[in-house]
Amino acid sequence: MTMNRHEAYEELISASLHGDLSPDERRRLDAHLDGCDRCRATLASFADQRRIVAGLRHLAPPRDLGARVRAGVEYDALPWYRRPIAIFTGVGGGLAVVAGALLALVLVNGAEEPEVGRDVPTPSATEAQPTPTPFATLPPPTLPGPPATPAPGETPAPIATPMGTPIPASPEPDVYMAMSGTFDDQSLAVVEGSTDDVVTEPEDIPLGPPIAAEMSSDGQWLAFVSEDGLSGMNEVRATRVAQGRADDPDGTPPPDSPIAIGESVVLGRTVAGSPFLERLAWSRDGRYLAFTIADPDGGGTDAWIFEPATEEVWQLTDVGDAYAGTWVTVGAEDDEPGSFEALWVSRADGNVTSYLVSVRDEGDQPLEGVDPATNSLATAEGVFQPLISPNGALAIYWNGRMTRSGDEWLFVEGGAPWLAEHRPDDAGGYAFGNDRQLFSDVTVDRDAFTAAAIAWGPDGDSYAVWDTAWTGVPQAPEGDYPDRSRVYFGRASDPRGLTRFHALDAGDLPADGIVVDVKVSPTSVHLVITVRYPTGGIGEAPRADLILVRRHTGNVADEVETLRSGGWNGPAAFDAHHEIEAP
Amino acid sequence: MQSMAVPGSLAWGAPAMSRRTDDAHERAFALLFEEFSAPIYNYVLRMVADPDRAADITQDTFIKAYKKLDTVTEATSTRSWLYRIATNTAIDDMRRRRNVTTMSDDQPTFANRPDHRPGPEAQVMAATLDERVQRALLSLRPNHRQCLLLSDLEDMSAQQIGEIMGLSYGAVRTLLCRARGEMRRALSNEGFAR
Repeated sequence: MTMNRHEAYEELISASLHGDLSPDERRRLDAHLDGCDRCRATLASFADQRRIVAGLRHLAPPRDLGARVRAGVEYDALPWYRRPIAIFTGVGGGLAVVAGALLALVLVNGAEEPEVGRDVPTPSATEAQPTPTPFATLPPPTLPGPPATPAPGETPAPIATPMGTPIPASPEPDVYMAMSGTFDDQSLAVVEGSTDDVVTEPEDIPLGPPIAAEMSSDGQWLAFVSEDGLSGMNEVRATRVAQGRADDPDGTPPPDSPIAIGESVVLGRTVAGSPFLERLAWSRDGRYLAFTIADPDGGGTDAWIFEPATEEVWQLTDVGDAYAGTWVTVGAEDDEPGSFEALWVSRADGNVTSYLVSVRDEGDQPLEGVDPATNSLATAEGVFQPLISPNGALAIYWNGRMTRSGDEWLFVEGGAPWLAEHRPDDAGGYAFGNDRQLFSDVTVDRDAFTAAAIAWGPDGDSYAVWDTAWTGVPQAPEGDYPDRSRVYFGRASDPRGLTRFHALDAGDLPADGIVVDVKVSPTSVHLVITVRYPTGGIGEAPRADLILVRRHTGNVADEVETLRSGGWNGPAAFDAHHEIEAP
Repeated sequence: MQSMAVPGSLAWGAPAMSRRTDDAHERAFALLFEEFSAPIYNYVLRMVADPDRAADITQDTFIKAYKKLDTVTEATSTRSWLYRIATNTAIDDMRRRRNVTTMSDDQPTFANRPDHRPGPEAQVMAATLDERVQRALLSLRPNHRQCLLLSDLEDMSAQQIGEIMGLSYGAVRTLLCRARGEMRRALSNEGFAR
């Protein structure tokens, strides 16, 4: 971002109004004002403004303010059992929160919670059946042994215990992105998945196709990463696609934004790289988006935040090896104003470690340029970029040793994704307990994964893995495995973990296609996949198809449907209204 | 713009049912309340634009201040400390109401709430001007509004504003400049000449 020369002096003009200039700044400003009509007008305008605000009427506070304060002080001095109920709005609200918390405790303690490590039933049906079990736990790990052994060429029997969806699930995405036109005259649209109706067509569009997209939980915003032409850079943008809506009809509507529907905001430019850089993490309340920027000028990677309600974009970390992970709703004591959203931020240098950080300080001001290691609410050593399941109970994270590779960080030793439970611990932090390697049939040695893309399904149980960059020896006798061209579709409740047999059928996707993005549908058995095709050269517009795969197991082939082709189609996005509430 | 100059300073009466026996604490709080109750109320009123909410927030501010008064050691920082409590309390209130950026027309805001007190025509005209300035203030982002009010209504330095908002001196200068630019446009929309 650059300032014009007048803007540089506006800050001095503003500071001069309350005498906050150094002698040198005063001299520079005076010299500039002598020859600049525009800045003299700014000075006059700011001075008028200061006079107008200072001249606002002062009103007398209510006469009973002192009595109210005294009553409040004395109320607080009483033991709790002698306090009258709901004297003050704030206190009454606090009591309601406490009562709600007590009720929740009774309900939680009264509910039958699954035991950690219990056996998971293995239904034979391939269709997901809702099972209202919000507390996900992992089945006992079966490592180090190989997975149960279907014969080569066979896929294992389905293992899933889907967590259930409170809203009837549909396989089509809520929206997808579509780019059309010639190479030098492209248009971009956000399209409704079930009807192909155009939701919005942003006027200001990126120079290249979108390659990652995530919708905010309140359905208002679509954040996306797009290629920036052929520059080797990506752009991070957000487009407002709808008015916000509350999760329930009587609920509080989400915060509005001054940005109109259809408008886009460019949030930053980043060096294009691994899937770790393409993570777009919305907070559960839709208030914040977290993303990662790799600085092309050698500054490394850092986490950034966008708050649509205020249009503010700020750099959360300034350490050069930080990546945005996932948001967590942190509770509060009964005398605090309420819960807030905190972000898992991971540092890559040294031993990979994740830190749970608030993004605003006590005065509600954005925390900028912080070192997460010194500002954390909780710390998880050996955990990199944890992806928390939508119901908050499980996490897929990375472990291994990373090193700087160009402008980003990649795993160079023992890199692999792990699956774990994600729960508050007794010390006020979070435990990544009962963990196991996500891929149960690969041997992670020095050479292993450098990166991969991973996405949870809305049920908090199913997940997809693709773009697996594996540097070790092949892990299967029949060929490349893990295979970068394949999509792996697994379930956390599967005690056998993720294996080579969980790859989609080889014929599901075009042979010359490259998987750009994968989303798991709320049905838990469908995947919506964006597959791009090699272009013929400079001047040919990029092409990608949006493909719907209905996964079958056993000897039944997957069902494949091309949802849209011609031009660039994808990525798809689902909002969070199919999610199960976190415990 | 001195704090003592505002009308309506209130006295802190002797407690009817005191559980605190520390007279020094009571005296210190009485002075604090007498000096700052009106300025804090007006500052909060301009932040939230609702007299009833402003009264509630001011009340909560002083209850918190009473409980934490023992933690203040330097007299010179008392004002910043109190404004910080007021600012945080107001922000918490706005967060709870999900009303950080805009207020709907049908809410009983300061801007559209009738002032029943009788007064001369000049007061009516002043109220109209006041209403337009308040509308312009309300259109600002909360941190811009807060920064501008502390600077121009409360006549605080960048250093003091930084103590209240938890920002560096340089960050306050930048924020204040942006706030002035935003306010310039907002006042222009309200018909102010430049």
